[in-house]
Amino acid sequence: MIFFEQVIAILWKDIRYELRSKQMWAGMGLFALLVLVIFNFAFDLRVDNKAAVAPGALWVSFVFASMLGLGRTIAAEREKGSMDRLLLCPVDRKAIYLAKLLGNMLFIGVVEIVALPIFAALFNVPLLLGPLLPIVLLGTLGIAAVGTLFSAMAAATRARELLLPILVFPLIVPIVIAAVRATGTLMVPVSNEPPWLGLMVAFDVIFLSISMLTFQYIVEE
Amino acid sequence: MALAGQDTNVKRRDASGPGQAERFPIVSMVLLALTFIGMMISIWMIFLYAPTDAIEGDAQRIFYFHLPSAIIGMLSLGIVALGGIVYLWKKDERWDWVARAAAELGTVFLTFALITGSIWGRTTWGTWWTWDARLTTTLILWFIYIGYLMLRSYMGRTPASARAGAVLAIIGLIDVPIIYESVNWWRTLHPQAVLPLGSSPQLPPEMLLTLVVAFITFTLLFSFLMVQLYQLEKMQTLAQQLRASVE
Amino acid sequence: MQGLTYLVAAYAIIWIGLLAYLGVVMLRIRGVRTELAAVKELVREQQEKSS
Repeated sequence: MIFFEQVIAILWKDIRYELRSKQMWAGMGLFALLVLVIFNFAFDLRVDNKAAVAPGALWVSFVFASMLGLGRTIAAEREKGSMDRLLLCPVDRKAIYLAKLLGNMLFIGVVEIVALPIFAALFNVPLLLGPLLPIVLLGTLGIAAVGTLFSAMAAATRARELLLPILVFPLIVPIVIAAVRATGTLMVPVSNEPPWLGLMVAFDVIFLSISMLTFQYIVEE
Repeated sequence: MALAGQDTNVKRRDASGPGQAERFPIVSMVLLALTFIGMMISIWMIFLYAPTDAIEGDAQRIFYFHLPSAIIGMLSLGIVALGGIVYLWKKDERWDWVARAAAELGTVFLTFALITGSIWGRTTWGTWWTWDARLTTTLILWFIYIGYLMLRSYMGRTPASARAGAVLAIIGLIDVPIIYESVNWWRTLHPQAVLPLGSSPQLPPEMLLTLVVAFITFTLLFSFLMVQLYQLEKMQTLAQQLRASVE
Repeated sequence: MQGLTYLVAAYAIIWIGLLAYLGVVMLRIRGVRTELAAVKELVREQQEKSS
């Protein structure tokens, strides 16, 4: 299983690198929380409309935090050398992509895990961590799958922080809709709801595959 | 096409230059003339030939320009993706020129579609916008186009830029139907006005004919503009390469 | 006849927009042609110098 060995190796290298810089983690986490707080003021939450707004607030905060997290991986790489050296090795490009993706998901995931209980507290909603986990996982996977691919693209440009959201936001619309609705249904069960989880799984499978296959064209020189 | 993509011999390029300029005006002129004629016929048909819609009145006639713009704008993404795929496969930059031209035109046509759609919506239900699946997907597709243009602009005229564009177009193309469906599902929770495309599901033959003529006209317009933009891309690439060889 | 105003407005916007875009494209083509001619001149001069 040389392929997965490569993935783990690259991933481990990235994790060790990230553990050294703690500011990014703190920054992302704080950012996620601040978005939640601002939502409270923006929507003037009262008891009745809280259930309607809470899922949206949560996922907006996750999406924005993801953008921050996605920007940092490849930007760190493009500080010449590490990516080029990696490409010189006969390592499968798909493995590089997968490693980057897993790294991003870990990174964003940690922030999400921290943000969730605080979200539950701030919005006074039950923290249904069990059923919520698959939704958060699938949603983050979808955003990260597309985002990892495009962060490699945007990294080559000057305005990468601006370009990444512009490219990614339109494409992740289905995942965001599904994630928000799935979370909402969890909090306030509704009948005759479309199969959001199924959509998320389909989206993730499709775009994970395509991103893996096309990643080589982005990084090749 | 006499211009070979891999050829770096400046002299041969020089010789083929005037040849190109002499050939293309004919195609362009023909397309322009046909487009103009088509436009005239369309305008006549739209305003005088087609009957007035019983429900919506005269404002319904916006539809004859709106629908072809929207469809062509959307199909253009297919052309961008196709150009991208063939470019990835053959590394022939001419296909990238096709992709860039189609992306720009797709944006233009979609902009027209959004504006006319908005005005039409205003006349029918009094709002400038509604989040129905069609309009929303059109808007998101517009953003994808803009993202494509920005990406290409920032990355310049390089093979890396062409590859990135190709990947974006492919992902965008596959995503659009998914976006449409997900917005559709989402809308079942918020039933709103539907764009009265099928206000009369069976269009009277005069309306259908007018629509077909308008569609043909817009296709001719699209083809004409594609030729212009393709030539533009070709010349810009050539100029950039020549300039690089001099400096 | 409010519908008619909107109709006219819509078509006016499209027409003006279309013509404006056409004009911009023609200008860009002309611009590139000029630059191409200039660069070709530069290339010719360089070739004459080297030969």
